[in-house]
Formats: sequence, C-alpha cells, structure tokens
Amino acid sequence: MDSNSTSQHISHKFDEEMEGLRNQVLKMGGLVEQQISGAIEALQTTNAPDAEKIILKDHKVNALEVTIDEACTQILARRQPAASDLRMVVAVIKTITDLERIGDEAEKIAKMALSLAEDDVGFHSRYAGIRHLGDQVKRMVHDVLDAYARLDVDAALKVVRDDDDADKEYQDLIRMLITYMMEDPRKISEVLDVIWAARALERIGDHAKNIGEYVIYLVKGKDIRHLDLDEVEKDILS
Amino acid sequence: MTESLATKIDPSLLSASPGSDDAEACMDVHNLNLFYGEAQALTDISFQMKKNRVTAFIGPSGCGKSTLLRCFNRMNDLVDSVRVEGEIMLDGKNIYAPDIDVTSLRQSVGMVFQKPNPFPMSIFENVAYGLRLQGINKRRLLEEKVEWALKGSALWEEVKDRLDESALGLSGGQQQRLVIARAIAIEPEILLLDEPASALDPISTLKIEELIYELKSQYTILIVTHNMQQAARVSDETAFMYMGEMIEFGKTNQIFTNPAKKQTEDYITGRYG
Amino acid sequence: MIRQWFKSGTPWIWLNAGAVSIALVAVFGLLLLILFRGMSHFWPADVEAFHYQNDQKAVTIIAEVIESETVPVESLHSIENTHGDEHGNVTRYLVKTGNRDILGSDFRWMYDIDLVKREKPENLMALERIEWGNFYGYLTSVHEKDKEGNEQLIASEDEAWPEFIRRLHLSNDIREQILQLEQGDIGSINYQLERIRLKEKRLQMDDALTDGAAKGIAEKRKQLKLEYDVLLKQTQKLYQQINRDSIKATVMDGSEVTIPLEKIVKAWQPNKMSVPNKLGFYMHTLWSFITDDPREANTEGGIFPAIFGTVMMVILMAILVTPFGVIAAVYLREYAKQGALIRIIRIAVNNLAGVPSIVYGVFGLGFFVYFLGGNIDALFFPEALPAPTFGTPGLMWSSLTLALLTLPVVIVATEEGLSRIPKSLREGSLGLGATKAETLWRVVLPMASPAIMTGLILAVARAAGEVAPLMLVGVVKLAPSLPLDGNFPFMHLDRKFMHLGFHIYDVGFQSPNVEAARPLVYATSFLLVVVIVTLNLTAINLRNRLREKYRALDG
Repeated sequence: MDSNSTSQHISHKFDEEMEGLRNQVLKMGGLVEQQISGAIEALQTTNAPDAEKIILKDHKVNALEVTIDEACTQILARRQPAASDLRMVVAVIKTITDLERIGDEAEKIAKMALSLAEDDVGFHSRYAGIRHLGDQVKRMVHDVLDAYARLDVDAALKVVRDDDDADKEYQDLIRMLITYMMEDPRKISEVLDVIWAARALERIGDHAKNIGEYVIYLVKGKDIRHLDLDEVEKDILS
Repeated sequence: MTESLATKIDPSLLSASPGSDDAEACMDVHNLNLFYGEAQALTDISFQMKKNRVTAFIGPSGCGKSTLLRCFNRMNDLVDSVRVEGEIMLDGKNIYAPDIDVTSLRQSVGMVFQKPNPFPMSIFENVAYGLRLQGINKRRLLEEKVEWALKGSALWEEVKDRLDESALGLSGGQQQRLVIARAIAIEPEILLLDEPASALDPISTLKIEELIYELKSQYTILIVTHNMQQAARVSDETAFMYMGEMIEFGKTNQIFTNPAKKQTEDYITGRYG
Repeated sequence: MIRQWFKSGTPWIWLNAGAVSIALVAVFGLLLLILFRGMSHFWPADVEAFHYQNDQKAVTIIAEVIESETVPVESLHSIENTHGDEHGNVTRYLVKTGNRDILGSDFRWMYDIDLVKREKPENLMALERIEWGNFYGYLTSVHEKDKEGNEQLIASEDEAWPEFIRRLHLSNDIREQILQLEQGDIGSINYQLERIRLKEKRLQMDDALTDGAAKGIAEKRKQLKLEYDVLLKQTQKLYQQINRDSIKATVMDGSEVTIPLEKIVKAWQPNKMSVPNKLGFYMHTLWSFITDDPREANTEGGIFPAIFGTVMMVILMAILVTPFGVIAAVYLREYAKQGALIRIIRIAVNNLAGVPSIVYGVFGLGFFVYFLGGNIDALFFPEALPAPTFGTPGLMWSSLTLALLTLPVVIVATEEGLSRIPKSLREGSLGLGATKAETLWRVVLPMASPAIMTGLILAVARAAGEVAPLMLVGVVKLAPSLPLDGNFPFMHLDRKFMHLGFHIYDVGFQSPNVEAARPLVYATSFLLVVVIVTLNLTAINLRNRLREKYRALDG
C-alpha cells in the first residue's frame, strides 16, 4: 500500500488540520534538534550561559507536546480518521512523546554541562568520544525527522538499524570513562557527569529509533516494535 | 543500558488475512455477474460469507452493493430485464439453479429494507405473517413464536400490551425493529439488512446496531450501509465495492486500519472524489 | 389595481364559488321540486262543494281543487259557451271530481262564472277504491246481506259513519287474508303443480317414465289437489264474508249509489280532520305507497315491487361486477406483461365506458337472452319448451347486462387503487417467502379495498339510473310476482321484474290518465333518488371504514 496519497480529502478543513499537525511535529522536531546541538556544544565548551538557555528552552518543547496532543485528540474526536489518517495521528501522538523525552534528555545534557562549568573543569580530550556519539545521535534524530517528513521507509529503517551502532558507541565510551575513573579517582564526580550525558545521548538514540518505528508503522501499517529486523526488512522491502 | 529486545514473534501475525479464523463458510459466491439488459451492474464477484458473522458492504452510491444484496434472496428476479451469471452456493446448492423454489429460499434468507415497511395490520399479525404463510395457524403456537421474535428484536417490552394495535402507530425505530422481528420469526439462516438504520435517528440506529450484535449468535448477517463508521462498529468482515466490482474483502479491523487497495483507502479516508 | 386583483387569483376563487353554488342550487332545487310536487299528492286535501246558479239551472260540483289560474275571457270563447260581450279575466280551476265510473273522467276544468258559493261540507266523504279511483259523496247508510241474500239496513244518519269504519277495518282484514291465501298458499300449490308437470315431461322426453314414477307423480298431484280444494273452500268462505257489507252514498247530483265494502280500501272525511289527523293520514298513505302493490295500471296503489326489483337488480349486479372487475384489474396490472397489447386492452376497456347503454341492451338481448338463454333452455330446461325459462328477458340477464355496462368503472378504480400501493409493501411480503398470489390476497387487495369500494359506488350510481337497456332485457310494466319468494329455489333469476326508472317512464308517458299520473311520477322520481342515495351512502360508509383501517402509509 502506498500511502503517499497526494489526493486531497473531500473535506478541505480536514486536509488543513492534518497538514497543520505535520508541520507542528516538524517544528517540534526542529526545536528538539536545536536543543541537542546546543546541549552538546554547551557540554564541550562547558559554557554555562548557553547551557542555561537550553534548560530554559525545554518548556517550549513541553508546550508543543501539549498543543500537538490536543490537536490529535480533536482530530480523533471529530474526524474519526481511518486507515492511513488514523495511523498518522496515532504515530504523531507517540512521536511527540519521544520528541519530548529527547528534549528532556537534551536538558539533562545541558544540566551536566552546567555542572561541569560550575566545577570549572575543562573538557578533557578523553571525553572526545562524546562528541562522536553526539554527532551520531544528532544525525539519527535529523534523519528520522527527515524520514517522517518524506514518509521514507528506507530512511526510517536505516535509523532503526543505526541505533545498534549508537549503542555500541555508547558501550565503548562507557568502558573508556570507567577506565578513566578507575585511573584517577579524583575525577569520579566529573566523569560521572559525563557518563550521565553519554547515557542521555544513548537514550536520545533510542527515542530516535522509536520514532523510526512509528514512521514505518505509519507508512506500512506494520507494527515492527520488538521484532527481528532482518525478518522485518525482508517483509517490508519486498 | 538497554538491550534491544527483539523478541521473535510469529510472522504470520503480520498478515491478518480473511478466512483465518475458524468460522465455517455459509454462502459462497463464485464469479457472479449481473446484467440489466445490456448494462452490467455486477462484475465477477467472488467471496465467502462466514456463518454467524456480520459482513458489511460499503461503497459509494451506485456501486452495486444493494444489487448484490438482493441477489442473495433473488429479489432481483422481480426486475424484468435482469440476467444473472455465476453461482451463489447456499448449503452446497446453487440458489440460481432452475429447480430452486424461490419462496422457500426467501424463508431461509430474510430481508430487512431501508425504510421500515410494516403491513397495515396489527403488530401481532405483522410478526405472524410469515408464520401464517408457512401454515401455522394455531393461536397458542403463534403467540409463542411472536413473543419469541419480538423479544429477539428487543421490542417485546415496549409492545407486549398492545399487540393488537396497528403497527403503523409505532415510531420509526420501533417499526424497523418490528420488521426485524417479522423477519426472524420464521427463523431464517441468513439475514440481509439493506441500510437498516439509514432512515432512523441516532439513538434508534445504535439500538439496531446493538441488536445486530445480539442476533449474530443465531443468524448470519449481511448488512449494506453507506455509513462507514457503522460498518466499522458492527461488522466482522467488510467488503468494499466500486462500480459493480468487489475491490477488497477482508477483516474489518484490517480494512479500517490498513486496507490493501488504494481505492479502499481513498474511500475510507474520505479522499474519494 | 384591477390587474393586481386579477393576479392575486381572487377572481378564480369567485368563479369557483359561483360554479359550485349554481350546481348546488340546481341540484337542491330539483330535489325540492320533485319532493314538493310528489309528496303533496298524498296529503288529504280538503274537498269543496261548488254551487253554480244561472238562469237555467243550479249545479253543485263536489271536488278537490288541484290548481287554479287566471285567464282572459277571450281565450275561453272557443272552449265554453259564454256571453259574447264580456271582457276582463276569469279564474279557472283544475279539480278532481273522482267518481270516474259515474262521470267518465277524474279531472275537469271549472270556471268561476256563475259561481254562487264555495263551501266545505263537514260530512263530505272521500273513498279510495280498488277500481275507478276516488269517490266523493255523502254517506247515507250502511247495509248488510243476510243469509238469504237480502239487504238489511244496519245504520244510518249519525251512527252510520262509525259503523262504516268499523266494518271497513274488518273487510280490509279479510281482504288481507284472501290475498295471503290466494297469492301465498294457493300460489305455492300452483308452483308445485307446475314443477311436477315439468318433471313428468322431462321424464317422458328421456323415456324414463317408469310406471312407478308415473304413479308417484299422480299421487303427488292428487295430494296437491286435495290441499287446493281445502284452500279454495277457505277462500270462498272469506269471499262470502267480505261480500256481506255495503254502503249507500249520495253523489253530487243528488242520486244515490251502492258501494260494496270489498271495493273500498280507505275512507275519510277530509273536512273534519284536524292537522294532526291529516298528518297521521299522510304518513299512513306514504307508507302504503312504499309497501303496497300497484293497482289500476300503475296509477294507483303502491310501488313496492318496483323498489324491490330495483334494489334486487342493483345488488345482483354488484355481486356480479365486483369479482369480474377486480380480477380483470389484478390481471392487467399485476400479471400481464406491460407492453403494447396491454395498452390496447386498457384503451378498449376505457372506451367501453362510453358506449351508449342502449347498445348494451341490444347486446344483452342478442347474446345473453337469445344465445346463452336459448342454449341453457335447450340443455337444462327442455321440458318447459316452447315456453322459455332463461331464453327470455329476466332478472339474471338484466343484472349481467348492467354489470357489463359498469365493468370499466370498476376496473379503472381498482387499477388506480392497486397502483397506489407502495412497492415496499409488496417487496416486504415477497421477502418473507410469500408467492405473488399470497401477497395479493393478504396484503395488496385488502389495502386496495377502499378503491374497489369506490369503483363499486360509481358502478351502483350509474347502474341504478339506467333504464334503456333494461327495457330490452328484463323489465316489465307489471310483474306477476317478486323475484324472491318462499318457493324453492327462493331466488328466481328467470323472472321479469319491475324497476323504478321504468316505472316513471311508464306512468308518466304511457298511462291513460295523465292528471292522476303526474304526481305519482314526481313521487316515484323522488323515491328513486332516495333509493340511490341510500345505496350510495351505505357503500360510502363502508369505504370510509375500510379507509381508516388501511390508512395509507407514507411509502
């Protein structure tokens, strides 16, 4: 089934509502992307004012979640959407939850940056792995939002797979940081902050993967959560 | 630390195809074609109706769903220029075979029409009409059956004290339930409902839908409706028809969340047109 | 402003109202006219004595005044001998002098020339007689025949009148008994004798007259003859009784006449009667008009056989036309393939309604009476030949002819009714497993019954008024007996009958006594209208009840 139906609903208002929903989601996604970028930047530069800005901006993300949730409820109540429209609304509801969580994680990263800045500790080169993980995760979020915008199953599936890489990256980073902690116990609290930040990034990756799963559900109508990816790929892309 | 919990789940669950549950077939349609003179109204219809299930036909106006419905009790025979090709098998016999007794077919396949059409007789006589046709005339037996039928159509409590009053004094929803009682009084196998609630107000509509749900356990029900949400609420399986063809037939859950054909999708989401 | 008025449609409303009013006035005016002219005939009018005196003689004329008008004297010169040089106007009176056996005519014109006195003598007596019409005179005395046959004076002067009335009642009773015996009992015996004769003849024709059968027939004959003798004796005795009494009366020229009581039907003293008396008398006369048999070539007596014949024929016609009409309509609409042929048939049926009724009469005569009746006679009643049973005009053929006449009306009305029944009801019935016939019988026809009744009402209205065809196929001036009586098979469809419409024609235009007949024509016309209205109202009432029952569904 190809849900790339460019044909319009008979009800123009419905079309507008769905379009508005999509735009809102993309807007929230863009905002969240910015938060991630800013948080990672603040972490690396241990810039306290920037970190605080990120923390404050999180309420915008939350507000957007509430707004979009409300819009979805309205559409469900008044339009009784079916098939692809229904899947779209359900996917959006789930997506914004994950996006909001991503925002929270970004806020956490910013908080860690703040803590590091307060401790007046520089960003050690051993922490460079974070940059790499951060970039990867940032790319995942960007790609999955792109996949959502274009309803691209391949791209979404790629993001889902990429999460494995991100997880591995995270594992490596943790190992490295633990080693560092064991070498220099004085650095433990600082390293812990970095570990929390890394963990937050890993979580962001998971959320991005979730959103990828929702996109596949939206487009293909298949709920691939908790399934074996090879089987899924065979099934979907055949 | 999260591990992806990719649990292996039975892939057959990925495709919920029709006919996978264990209900037996009741009516089998093979390559049904119907012509009004030269014009073809139904093209190559084939599907299976399950016993004790509700099957809904949806589709835009003029797609042939009412025509198809009326094939099952051969009401189309009343139109002079009709010609039918193909088979409809009921309990193993083709109902369009030349040796079929149409009146006894119609006693096995009952029909309820869009606009309630009670006879201008008393409520009792309306329900007893079909029974009298079958030769049942003993008052005691008739009373039993009438009560049973009226209870079955959730009308008994409302009319039990006025069975001898004219049926035309009932409200629209009550009349439609009376007509349903009249149809089930002769205990058919299959009930054909042609937009049964379209002439009724929302409350009566919901009552009829509730009734359909209760009747499901005893009868096999075929319902034609132009109200998609009603089809979604009421039926187990749904068929989408367009211009005389059956575009898609499948489980209602499937059709309304992820239909296989784009035409079905367009119709259901309101992109049709 | 005028244009506005025109546009608003008001002038049309006025035209409508005007047309309806004119129609109503015409109808009611007509009804009132015949009511008045007809019903006034039965009112016991005062009888006057006109005393004329001129140089030559004095004449008294006793009569009932019917009409009076004023005419110029000149127009009289050619009619009467009058004094040549008189001018001005004179009043003349149309009076009923009665006493046709004495005077030669009932009615005459009289003038007020030389009229000295008009008075209403109290003792003036009016009699309604079996023959010769009314009698006017003074009662002198009552007489009775004794056993030797000599006349004995019973009463005179003041006692005469009450005695006369008393004996008149007795005499009327006896006449009733005689009538009952003669027409009822003796008539029955005659009827049975006739049947035995026919049976015997039939056996003879079939060569089946065994000795046993012949003996049985002879026995029956003997038995009937015995019964007849007994009855004859009874009647003879009654005749003796009724011949016993008579009265003597004085007529207007002073001479005395004898009138046997058996010839008198009613007696009254019009000038002595008060208004309530007269009202009672009026009601009584009206009643006997409706229930008695006719006398004097239909100019006297009642018209009961005509009423009975009319109603009987209409009912029989209704019974015949309804099934034919309904079945034909059902076929045309429900079963026949709708094509060119059916349309032609429908056109033909509609045209049938426009055929003049006398043509139906001729058809009825030729086909029903001669062809069908002749064959029926040959097949079933050969013993009666050459006297025809069904091969002659009669009740059956009349009803059948009129049924044919009104068939198109019933067919059209029924078809209308059938087409009104919504398709959804038929489908509902068929969907429950009914055949087409069952659907028709149980659902469609009951719903169409108001329309069928409408057709019947129209048929009755048309048929009750038709006279021309009936003259050819079954109506007679005077029928010997009613088509329904106590003798098996009770309903005699081969008998001729009397009819109100024909009665009007016959009395009005074929009777010898025009003046006597005229009020009767009005009275009979009014009665005919009443009969038809009653039949229609009954049918309409029935139809309204059916309509309520099957109050139309909104689809």
